[in-house]
Amino acid sequence: MSATVEFQNVQMSFEEDVLLKNINFQIHKGEKFVLIGPSGEGKSVLLKLMAGILKPSEGKILIEGHDMWNCLPKDRLALLRKMGMLFQKNALFDSLTVGENVAFPMREITQKSEQEIQKQVKYFLQEVDILHALELFPDEISGGMQKRLGIARALALEPGIIFYDDPTAGLDPITSRMIVELILRLQKELNSTIIAITNDMNRAYQMADRMAMVVDGELIITGNVGETQQHKDPRVVQFIHGYLKGPLTEHTEVNA
Amino acid sequence: MLNKMVGIIDDIGGVTLFMKEVFRTGIKTPCTFSEIMDQTWKVTIQSLSTTAMAGFFVGAIMTVQFTLQVSQFGALGYLGGLATSGTIREVGPLLIAFMLSGKVGAFTSAELGTMRVTEQIDAIKCLGANPIQEIILPRFVGIILSSFFLLTIGLFMSIWGGLLMGIVFSGISIEEYVRHIPNIVSPVSIVTGLFKCFVFAFVLASICTYKGYNATGGAKGVGKAVVDTAVFTMIGIVIADWVTSAIGESVMELFLK
Repeated sequence: MSATVEFQNVQMSFEEDVLLKNINFQIHKGEKFVLIGPSGEGKSVLLKLMAGILKPSEGKILIEGHDMWNCLPKDRLALLRKMGMLFQKNALFDSLTVGENVAFPMREITQKSEQEIQKQVKYFLQEVDILHALELFPDEISGGMQKRLGIARALALEPGIIFYDDPTAGLDPITSRMIVELILRLQKELNSTIIAITNDMNRAYQMADRMAMVVDGELIITGNVGETQQHKDPRVVQFIHGYLKGPLTEHTEVNA
Repeated sequence: MLNKMVGIIDDIGGVTLFMKEVFRTGIKTPCTFSEIMDQTWKVTIQSLSTTAMAGFFVGAIMTVQFTLQVSQFGALGYLGGLATSGTIREVGPLLIAFMLSGKVGAFTSAELGTMRVTEQIDAIKCLGANPIQEIILPRFVGIILSSFFLLTIGLFMSIWGGLLMGIVFSGISIEEYVRHIPNIVSPVSIVTGLFKCFVFAFVLASICTYKGYNATGGAKGVGKAVVDTAVFTMIGIVIADWVTSAIGESVMELFLK
Protein backbone atom coordinates (compact mmCIF):
# COMPACT_ATOMS: atom_id res chain seq x y z
CA MET A 1 0.00 0.00 0.00
CA SER A 2 1.24 3.52 -0.83
CA ALA A 3 1.52 6.19 1.86
CA THR A 4 -1.13 8.89 1.55
CA VAL A 5 0.14 10.85 4.55
CA GLU A 6 3.70 10.65 5.76
CA PHE A 7 5.40 12.48 8.63
CA GLN A 8 9.21 12.66 8.60
CA ASN A 9 10.85 13.88 11.83
CA VAL A 10 8.12 16.41 12.44
CA GLN A 11 8.41 18.71 15.42
CA MET A 12 5.88 21.33 16.46
CA SER A 13 6.68 24.10 18.93
CA PHE A 14 4.72 27.09 20.11
CA GLU A 15 7.33 29.71 21.03
CA GLU A 16 9.51 27.84 23.56
CA ASP A 17 7.14 24.92 24.22
CA VAL A 18 7.70 21.75 22.22
CA LEU A 19 4.30 20.09 21.82
CA LEU A 20 5.20 17.31 19.36
CA LYS A 21 8.70 15.94 18.91
CA ASN A 22 10.23 13.77 16.24
CA ILE A 23 6.99 12.35 14.84
CA ASN A 24 7.39 9.69 12.14
CA PHE A 25 4.54 7.66 10.71
CA GLN A 26 2.68 6.75 7.53
CA ILE A 27 -1.02 6.43 6.76
CA HIS A 28 -1.96 4.32 3.76
CA LYS A 29 -4.56 4.88 1.09
CA GLY A 30 -8.04 3.80 2.14
CA GLU A 31 -6.97 3.32 5.75
CA LYS A 32 -9.06 4.32 8.79
CA PHE A 33 -6.56 5.74 11.26
CA VAL A 34 -7.74 6.78 14.73
CA LEU A 35 -5.84 9.04 17.11
CA ILE A 36 -6.50 8.81 20.82
CA GLY A 37 -4.86 10.47 23.81
CA PRO A 38 -5.41 12.72 26.79
CA SER A 39 -6.66 16.28 26.23
CA GLY A 40 -4.07 18.95 25.54
CA GLU A 41 -1.40 16.53 24.30
CA GLY A 42 -1.56 17.74 20.68
CA LYS A 43 -4.00 15.46 18.82
CA SER A 44 -5.81 18.37 17.16
CA VAL A 45 -2.48 20.04 16.39
CA LEU A 46 -1.31 16.82 14.72
CA LEU A 47 -4.51 16.74 12.66
CA LYS A 48 -4.12 20.40 11.70
CA LEU A 49 -0.53 19.69 10.62
CA MET A 50 -1.80 16.91 8.34
CA ALA A 51 -4.55 19.19 7.01
CA GLY A 52 -2.04 21.95 6.16
CA ILE A 53 -3.57 24.46 8.56
CA LEU A 54 -0.43 24.58 10.72
CA LYS A 55 3.16 24.55 9.49
CA PRO A 56 5.56 22.26 11.36
CA SER A 57 8.50 23.86 13.18
CA GLU A 58 10.76 21.12 11.79
CA GLY A 59 10.48 18.08 9.53
CA LYS A 60 8.49 17.16 6.45
CA ILE A 61 4.83 16.33 5.86
CA LEU A 62 4.22 14.45 2.63
CA ILE A 63 0.76 14.15 1.12
CA GLU A 64 0.70 11.55 -1.65
CA GLY A 65 4.48 11.88 -1.83
CA HIS A 66 4.53 15.69 -2.16
CA ASP A 67 6.09 17.88 0.52
CA MET A 68 3.23 20.14 1.53
CA TRP A 69 5.40 23.04 2.71
CA ASN A 70 8.10 22.81 0.09
CA CYS A 71 6.23 23.17 -3.17
CA LEU A 72 4.73 25.90 -5.36
CA PRO A 73 1.63 27.66 -3.93
CA LYS A 74 -0.54 26.22 -6.72
CA ASP A 75 0.68 22.69 -5.95
CA ARG A 76 -0.03 23.26 -2.26
CA LEU A 77 -3.54 24.38 -3.11
CA ALA A 78 -4.00 21.27 -5.23
CA LEU A 79 -2.91 19.15 -2.24
CA LEU A 80 -5.24 21.02 0.12
CA ARG A 81 -8.14 20.34 -2.22
CA LYS A 82 -7.54 16.62 -1.87
CA MET A 83 -8.42 16.91 1.82
CA GLY A 84 -11.55 17.66 3.78
CA MET A 85 -11.99 18.26 7.48
CA LEU A 86 -14.72 18.10 10.08
CA PHE A 87 -13.70 20.40 12.94
CA GLN A 88 -14.23 19.64 16.60
CA LYS A 89 -16.80 22.45 16.94
CA ASN A 90 -17.86 22.01 13.32
CA ALA A 91 -16.62 25.51 12.26
CA LEU A 92 -19.74 26.08 10.21
CA PHE A 93 -20.17 29.47 8.55
CA ASP A 94 -22.96 30.86 10.71
CA SER A 95 -23.92 33.62 8.28
CA LEU A 96 -24.61 31.05 5.53
CA THR A 97 -27.51 28.61 5.30
CA VAL A 98 -27.02 24.84 5.44
CA GLY A 99 -27.09 24.68 1.63
CA GLU A 100 -24.70 27.61 1.24
CA ASN A 101 -22.25 26.02 3.70
CA VAL A 102 -21.96 22.95 1.48
CA ALA A 103 -21.91 25.07 -1.69
CA PHE A 104 -19.14 27.35 -0.33
CA PRO A 105 -16.12 25.17 -1.23
CA MET A 106 -17.56 24.36 -4.66
CA ARG A 107 -18.26 28.04 -5.40
CA GLU A 108 -14.81 29.11 -4.22
CA ILE A 109 -12.69 26.35 -5.65
CA THR A 110 -14.37 24.72 -8.62
CA GLN A 111 -15.60 26.07 -11.94
CA LYS A 112 -18.92 24.24 -11.65
CA SER A 113 -22.10 25.97 -12.80
CA GLU A 114 -24.63 27.07 -10.17
CA GLN A 115 -27.01 24.38 -11.41
CA GLU A 116 -24.38 21.67 -10.92
CA ILE A 117 -23.48 23.05 -7.48
CA GLN A 118 -27.13 22.96 -6.36
CA LYS A 119 -27.40 19.39 -7.59
CA GLN A 120 -24.26 18.39 -5.65
CA VAL A 121 -25.43 20.23 -2.52
CA LYS A 122 -28.70 18.28 -2.56
CA TYR A 123 -26.82 15.03 -3.16
CA PHE A 124 -24.48 15.51 -0.18
CA LEU A 125 -27.23 16.73 2.14
CA GLN A 126 -29.29 13.69 1.13
CA GLU A 127 -26.27 11.47 1.89
CA VAL A 128 -26.05 12.83 5.43
CA ASP A 129 -29.83 12.91 5.76
CA ILE A 130 -30.41 16.63 6.39
CA LEU A 131 -31.79 17.74 3.02
CA HIS A 132 -34.91 19.02 4.79
CA ALA A 133 -32.73 21.67 6.55
CA LEU A 134 -31.39 23.12 3.27
CA GLU A 135 -32.65 26.66 3.90
CA LEU A 136 -31.99 26.79 7.66
CA PHE A 137 -29.00 28.43 9.35
CA PRO A 138 -26.52 26.33 11.39
CA ASP A 139 -27.74 27.72 14.71
CA GLU A 140 -31.29 26.61 13.86
CA ILE A 141 -30.40 22.90 13.69
CA SER A 142 -29.43 20.36 16.39
CA GLY A 143 -25.88 19.35 17.37
CA GLY A 144 -26.16 16.06 15.51
CA MET A 145 -27.39 17.81 12.38
CA GLN A 146 -24.53 20.30 12.66
CA LYS A 147 -22.09 17.37 12.67
CA ARG A 148 -23.80 15.94 9.60
CA LEU A 149 -23.59 19.33 7.92
CA GLY A 150 -19.88 19.55 8.80
CA ILE A 151 -19.38 16.13 7.22
CA ALA A 152 -21.30 17.15 4.08
CA ARG A 153 -19.14 20.27 3.74
CA ALA A 154 -15.95 18.26 4.27
CA LEU A 155 -17.07 15.93 1.46
CA ALA A 156 -18.13 18.71 -0.91
CA LEU A 157 -14.91 18.67 -2.94
CA GLU A 158 -14.92 14.86 -2.92
CA PRO A 159 -11.53 14.65 -1.18
CA GLY A 160 -9.48 11.48 -0.95
CA ILE A 161 -8.40 12.19 2.64
CA ILE A 162 -10.87 13.25 5.31
CA PHE A 163 -9.98 14.40 8.82
CA TYR A 164 -12.50 14.10 11.64
CA ASP A 165 -11.62 16.04 14.78
CA ASP A 166 -13.66 14.38 17.53
CA PRO A 167 -16.76 13.74 15.40
CA THR A 168 -18.81 12.47 18.34
CA ALA A 169 -17.95 15.22 20.84
CA GLY A 170 -20.98 16.45 22.72
CA LEU A 171 -23.39 13.97 21.13
CA ASP A 172 -25.58 11.41 22.87
CA PRO A 173 -24.53 7.73 22.48
CA ILE A 174 -27.15 6.93 19.83
CA THR A 175 -26.36 9.99 17.70
CA SER A 176 -22.62 9.27 18.17
CA ARG A 177 -23.08 5.78 16.83
CA MET A 178 -25.16 7.05 13.91
CA ILE A 179 -22.47 9.62 13.04
CA VAL A 180 -19.73 6.97 13.12
CA GLU A 181 -21.80 4.64 10.95
CA LEU A 182 -22.36 7.52 8.53
CA ILE A 183 -18.59 8.20 8.44
CA LEU A 184 -17.87 4.51 7.75
CA ARG A 185 -20.56 4.26 5.05
CA LEU A 186 -19.24 7.36 3.27
CA GLN A 187 -15.66 6.07 3.58
CA LYS A 188 -16.71 2.86 1.86
CA GLU A 189 -18.66 4.66 -0.86
CA LEU A 190 -15.90 7.16 -1.64
CA ASN A 191 -12.98 4.81 -0.88
CA SER A 192 -11.33 7.63 1.06
CA THR A 193 -8.63 7.62 3.72
CA ILE A 194 -9.93 8.77 7.08
CA ILE A 195 -8.00 10.07 10.03
CA ALA A 196 -10.10 10.64 13.12
CA ILE A 197 -9.60 11.81 16.68
CA THR A 198 -11.85 10.46 19.37
CA ASN A 199 -11.70 9.81 23.08
CA ASP A 200 -14.72 7.53 22.98
CA MET A 201 -13.01 4.13 22.95
CA ASN A 202 -16.09 2.26 21.70
CA ARG A 203 -16.35 4.57 18.70
CA ALA A 204 -12.57 4.36 18.21
CA TYR A 205 -12.73 0.55 18.05
CA GLN A 206 -15.73 0.78 15.71
CA MET A 207 -13.86 3.04 13.28
CA ALA A 208 -10.22 2.06 13.35
CA ASP A 209 -8.09 -0.10 11.08
CA ARG A 210 -5.11 1.19 13.03
CA MET A 211 -4.76 3.35 16.11
CA ALA A 212 -2.15 5.65 17.66
CA MET A 213 -1.90 7.54 20.91
CA VAL A 214 -0.50 11.05 21.31
CA VAL A 215 1.13 11.51 24.70
CA ASP A 216 4.13 13.40 26.12
CA GLY A 217 4.85 14.86 22.68
CA GLU A 218 5.23 11.38 21.15
CA LEU A 219 3.06 9.34 18.82
CA ILE A 220 2.73 5.72 19.92
CA ILE A 221 1.42 3.56 17.09
CA THR A 222 -0.65 1.04 19.00
CA GLY A 223 -1.68 -1.09 16.01
CA ASN A 224 -5.09 -2.49 15.15
CA VAL A 225 -7.94 -2.75 17.65
CA GLY A 226 -6.78 -6.09 19.08
CA GLU A 227 -3.15 -4.94 19.37
CA THR A 228 -4.23 -1.69 21.02
CA GLN A 229 -6.31 -3.58 23.58
CA GLN A 230 -3.30 -5.79 24.38
CA HIS A 231 -0.72 -2.96 24.35
CA LYS A 232 1.88 -3.08 27.10
CA ASP A 233 2.69 0.64 27.45
CA PRO A 234 1.23 1.64 30.86
CA ARG A 235 0.09 5.01 29.45
CA VAL A 236 -1.92 3.27 26.72
CA VAL A 237 -3.32 0.77 29.22
CA GLN A 238 -4.38 3.52 31.62
CA PHE A 239 -5.96 5.62 28.87
CA ILE A 240 -7.98 2.92 27.10
CA HIS A 241 -9.32 1.53 30.37
CA GLY A 242 -9.83 4.95 31.94
CA TYR A 243 -7.96 4.09 35.17
CA LEU A 244 -7.66 6.96 37.61
CA LYS A 245 -4.20 5.94 38.82
CA GLY A 246 -1.22 5.54 36.52
CA PRO A 247 1.50 7.44 34.66
CA LEU A 248 -0.94 9.83 32.94
CA THR A 249 -2.22 11.14 36.27
CA GLU A 250 1.07 10.97 38.13
CA HIS A 251 1.12 14.69 38.88
CA THR A 252 -2.56 15.21 39.47
CA GLU A 253 -4.66 15.29 42.62
CA VAL A 254 -6.26 11.93 41.82
CA ASN A 255 -2.99 10.07 42.08
CA ALA A 256 -1.72 12.11 45.01
CA MET B 1 6.16 49.18 31.05
CA LEU B 2 8.88 47.71 28.85
CA ASN B 3 6.60 44.77 28.02
CA LYS B 4 3.84 47.19 27.01
CA MET B 5 6.23 49.09 24.73
CA VAL B 6 7.36 45.83 23.15
CA GLY B 7 3.70 44.85 22.72
CA ILE B 8 2.89 48.13 20.97
CA ILE B 9 5.88 47.82 18.63
CA ASP B 10 4.89 44.21 17.98
CA ASP B 11 1.36 45.34 17.10
CA ILE B 12 2.60 48.07 14.76
CA GLY B 13 4.77 45.50 12.99
CA GLY B 14 1.88 43.04 12.95
CA VAL B 15 -0.54 45.54 11.36
CA THR B 16 2.10 46.52 8.77
CA LEU B 17 2.75 42.90 7.75
CA PHE B 18 -0.97 42.19 7.75
CA MET B 19 -1.60 45.16 5.44
CA LYS B 20 1.18 43.97 3.17
CA GLU B 21 -0.58 40.60 2.93
CA VAL B 22 -3.96 42.27 2.33
CA PHE B 23 -2.57 44.48 -0.46
CA ARG B 24 -0.67 41.58 -2.02
CA THR B 25 -3.81 39.46 -2.02
CA GLY B 26 -5.83 42.41 -3.37
CA ILE B 27 -3.47 42.75 -6.32
CA LYS B 28 -2.95 39.05 -7.04
CA THR B 29 -6.39 37.62 -6.29
CA PRO B 30 -8.90 40.41 -5.73
CA CYS B 31 -12.32 39.70 -4.32
CA THR B 32 -15.40 40.31 -6.44
CA PHE B 33 -17.09 43.69 -6.82
CA SER B 34 -20.36 42.29 -5.48
CA GLU B 35 -18.65 41.08 -2.27
CA ILE B 36 -17.24 44.59 -1.68
CA MET B 37 -20.59 46.24 -2.40
CA ASP B 38 -22.31 43.78 -0.10
CA GLN B 39 -19.98 44.66 2.80
CA THR B 40 -20.13 48.39 2.04
CA TRP B 41 -23.91 48.31 2.07
CA LYS B 42 -24.02 46.30 5.33
CA VAL B 43 -21.69 48.68 7.19
CA THR B 44 -23.36 51.79 5.77
CA ILE B 45 -26.88 50.72 6.69
CA GLN B 46 -25.70 49.63 10.13
CA SER B 47 -24.26 53.05 10.99
CA LEU B 48 -26.03 55.61 8.82
CA SER B 49 -28.56 56.86 11.38
CA THR B 50 -26.10 57.05 14.29
CA THR B 51 -23.44 58.77 12.17
CA ALA B 52 -25.95 61.30 10.86
CA MET B 53 -27.14 62.01 14.39
CA ALA B 54 -23.61 62.29 15.76
CA GLY B 55 -22.65 64.61 12.88
CA PHE B 56 -25.69 66.80 13.47
CA PHE B 57 -24.85 67.28 17.14
CA VAL B 58 -21.14 67.84 16.49
CA GLY B 59 -22.12 70.79 14.29
CA ALA B 60 -24.56 71.98 16.93
CA ILE B 61 -21.92 71.82 19.69
CA MET B 62 -19.40 73.73 17.58
CA THR B 63 -21.93 76.50 16.93
CA VAL B 64 -22.80 76.80 20.62
CA GLN B 65 -19.11 76.99 21.54
CA PHE B 66 -18.31 79.58 18.86
CA THR B 67 -21.37 81.66 19.76
CA LEU B 68 -19.99 82.21 23.25
CA GLN B 69 -16.63 83.34 21.81
CA VAL B 70 -17.60 85.48 18.83
CA SER B 71 -20.54 87.24 20.53
CA GLN B 72 -18.03 88.86 22.93
CA PHE B 73 -16.48 90.62 19.96
CA GLY B 74 -19.76 91.38 18.20
CA ALA B 75 -18.76 89.14 15.35
CA LEU B 76 -21.78 86.82 15.20
CA GLY B 77 -21.79 87.26 11.42
CA TYR B 78 -18.67 85.08 11.27
CA LEU B 79 -20.27 82.32 13.34
CA GLY B 80 -21.33 80.15 10.40
CA GLY B 81 -17.94 80.37 8.68
CA LEU B 82 -15.91 79.66 11.80
CA ALA B 83 -18.12 76.83 13.09
CA THR B 84 -18.31 75.16 9.68
CA SER B 85 -14.58 75.48 9.05
CA GLY B 86 -13.71 74.04 12.47
CA THR B 87 -16.19 71.23 12.02
CA ILE B 88 -15.13 70.26 8.52
CA ARG B 89 -11.39 70.44 9.09
CA GLU B 90 -11.01 69.07 12.57
CA VAL B 91 -13.75 68.22 15.01
CA GLY B 92 -16.23 66.59 12.62
CA PRO B 93 -13.97 63.91 11.11
CA LEU B 94 -12.38 63.20 14.51
CA LEU B 95 -15.56 62.75 16.55
CA ILE B 96 -17.42 60.85 13.84
CA ALA B 97 -14.41 58.56 13.33
CA PHE B 98 -14.35 57.88 17.08
CA MET B 99 -18.00 56.91 16.94
CA LEU B 100 -17.42 54.66 13.93
CA SER B 101 -14.48 53.00 15.65
CA GLY B 102 -16.84 52.02 18.46
CA LYS B 103 -19.54 50.76 16.12
CA VAL B 104 -17.98 49.47 12.88
CA GLY B 105 -14.56 48.65 14.37
CA ALA B 106 -15.91 46.75 17.37
CA PHE B 107 -18.48 44.88 15.27
CA THR B 108 -15.94 43.82 12.65
CA SER B 109 -13.27 42.70 15.12
CA ALA B 110 -15.88 40.77 17.13
CA GLU B 111 -17.19 39.11 13.96
CA LEU B 112 -13.72 38.14 12.70
CA GLY B 113 -12.56 37.15 16.19
CA THR B 114 -15.53 34.82 16.56
CA MET B 115 -14.76 33.33 13.15
CA ARG B 116 -11.18 32.75 14.32
CA VAL B 117 -11.98 31.12 17.66
CA THR B 118 -14.74 28.93 16.19
CA GLU B 119 -12.21 27.70 13.59
CA GLN B 120 -14.19 29.13 10.64
CA ILE B 121 -10.99 30.75 9.35
CA ASP B 122 -9.17 27.40 9.63
CA ALA B 123 -12.07 25.82 7.75
CA ILE B 124 -11.64 28.30 4.88
CA LYS B 125 -7.89 27.51 4.78
CA CYS B 126 -8.63 23.79 4.89
CA LEU B 127 -10.95 24.11 1.90
CA GLY B 128 -8.02 25.44 -0.11
CA ALA B 129 -9.34 29.02 -0.14
CA ASN B 130 -7.51 32.13 1.07
CA PRO B 131 -9.20 33.69 4.15
CA ILE B 132 -7.58 37.07 3.42
CA GLN B 133 -9.25 37.08 0.01
CA GLU B 134 -12.52 35.59 1.24
CA ILE B 135 -13.24 37.49 4.43
CA ILE B 136 -10.66 40.24 5.04
CA LEU B 137 -10.43 41.97 1.67
CA PRO B 138 -14.17 42.57 1.17
CA ARG B 139 -14.49 43.87 4.74
CA PHE B 140 -11.36 46.01 4.50
CA VAL B 141 -12.43 47.73 1.27
CA GLY B 142 -16.07 47.83 2.40
CA ILE B 143 -15.18 49.55 5.69
CA ILE B 144 -12.99 52.13 3.92
CA LEU B 145 -15.68 52.96 1.36
CA SER B 146 -18.54 53.04 3.83
CA SER B 147 -16.61 54.89 6.54
CA PHE B 148 -15.53 57.51 4.01
CA PHE B 149 -19.14 57.83 2.85
CA LEU B 150 -20.47 57.91 6.43
CA LEU B 151 -17.91 60.50 7.53
CA THR B 152 -18.89 62.67 4.56
CA ILE B 153 -22.59 62.30 5.43
CA GLY B 154 -21.70 63.10 9.05
CA LEU B 155 -19.90 66.29 7.99
CA PHE B 156 -22.84 67.32 5.82
CA MET B 157 -25.20 66.76 8.76
CA SER B 158 -22.88 68.73 11.04
CA ILE B 159 -23.33 71.76 8.80
CA TRP B 160 -27.10 71.42 9.17
CA GLY B 161 -26.75 70.96 12.94
CA GLY B 162 -24.61 74.09 13.14
CA LEU B 163 -27.06 76.06 11.00
CA LEU B 164 -30.06 75.02 13.11
CA MET B 165 -28.27 75.87 16.35
CA GLY B 166 -27.19 79.21 14.84
CA ILE B 167 -30.83 80.08 14.26
CA VAL B 168 -32.24 78.67 17.51
CA PHE B 169 -29.43 79.37 20.03
CA SER B 170 -27.60 82.35 18.56
CA GLY B 171 -30.64 84.03 17.01
CA ILE B 172 -29.10 84.77 13.60
CA SER B 173 -30.75 84.27 10.23
CA ILE B 174 -29.85 81.61 7.67
CA GLU B 175 -28.44 84.30 5.38
CA GLU B 176 -26.21 85.66 8.14
CA TYR B 177 -25.00 82.18 9.06
CA VAL B 178 -24.00 81.16 5.55
CA ARG B 179 -22.70 84.56 4.38
CA HIS B 180 -19.05 84.06 5.40
CA ILE B 181 -18.88 80.33 4.88
CA PRO B 182 -17.46 80.64 1.30
CA ASN B 183 -14.80 83.12 2.56
CA ILE B 184 -13.64 81.07 5.52
CA VAL B 185 -14.22 77.51 4.32
CA SER B 186 -11.73 77.21 1.45
CA PRO B 187 -11.60 74.30 -1.00
CA VAL B 188 -8.39 73.25 0.79
CA SER B 189 -10.39 72.94 4.05
CA ILE B 190 -12.90 70.69 2.35
CA VAL B 191 -10.18 68.57 0.73
CA THR B 192 -8.32 68.37 4.06
CA GLY B 193 -11.52 67.25 5.81
CA LEU B 194 -12.25 64.61 3.18
CA PHE B 195 -8.62 63.45 3.17
CA LYS B 196 -8.84 63.03 6.94
CA CYS B 197 -12.03 61.01 6.50
CA PHE B 198 -10.19 58.67 4.13
CA VAL B 199 -7.14 58.32 6.40
CA PHE B 200 -9.30 57.66 9.48
CA ALA B 201 -11.31 55.08 7.53
CA PHE B 202 -8.04 53.35 6.53
CA VAL B 203 -6.77 53.33 10.13
CA LEU B 204 -10.09 51.95 11.37
CA ALA B 205 -10.30 49.23 8.70
CA SER B 206 -6.71 48.07 9.13
CA ILE B 207 -6.77 47.87 12.95
CA CYS B 208 -10.16 46.19 13.32
CA THR B 209 -9.50 43.55 10.65
CA TYR B 210 -6.01 42.83 12.07
CA LYS B 211 -7.18 42.53 15.66
CA GLY B 212 -10.20 40.39 14.79
CA TYR B 213 -8.29 38.11 12.44
CA ASN B 214 -5.58 37.46 15.03
CA ALA B 215 -7.84 36.94 18.05
CA THR B 216 -6.97 33.91 20.16
CA GLY B 217 -8.35 32.10 23.18
CA GLY B 218 -12.13 31.78 23.01
CA ALA B 219 -14.67 34.32 24.22
CA LYS B 220 -12.08 36.12 26.36
CA GLY B 221 -9.84 36.51 23.31
CA VAL B 222 -12.67 37.98 21.26
CA GLY B 223 -13.43 40.43 24.07
CA LYS B 224 -9.77 41.45 24.22
CA ALA B 225 -9.69 41.92 20.44
CA VAL B 226 -12.71 44.23 20.62
CA VAL B 227 -11.26 46.30 23.47
CA ASP B 228 -7.87 46.50 21.72
CA THR B 229 -9.60 47.57 18.52
CA ALA B 230 -11.41 50.42 20.29
CA VAL B 231 -8.26 51.61 22.10
CA PHE B 232 -5.79 51.27 19.22
CA THR B 233 -8.20 52.76 16.69
CA MET B 234 -8.73 55.85 18.81
CA ILE B 235 -5.00 56.28 19.40
CA GLY B 236 -4.35 55.64 15.70
CA ILE B 237 -6.98 58.18 14.66
CA VAL B 238 -5.59 60.87 16.97
CA ILE B 239 -2.06 60.32 15.61
CA ALA B 240 -3.38 60.26 12.04
CA ASP B 241 -5.25 63.51 12.78
CA TRP B 242 -2.05 65.15 13.93
CA VAL B 243 -0.17 63.99 10.81
CA THR B 244 -2.95 64.97 8.39
CA SER B 245 -3.39 68.35 10.12
CA ALA B 246 0.32 69.03 9.64
CA ILE B 247 0.05 68.04 5.97
CA GLY B 248 -3.12 70.15 5.59
CA GLU B 249 -1.40 73.21 7.07
CA SER B 250 1.57 72.81 4.73
CA VAL B 251 -0.75 72.53 1.72
CA MET B 252 -2.70 75.56 2.94
CA GLU B 253 0.52 77.58 3.24
CA LEU B 254 1.47 76.63 -0.30
CA PHE B 255 -1.91 77.81 -1.57
CA LEU B 256 -1.75 81.09 0.36
CA LYS B 257 1.68 81.86 -1.14
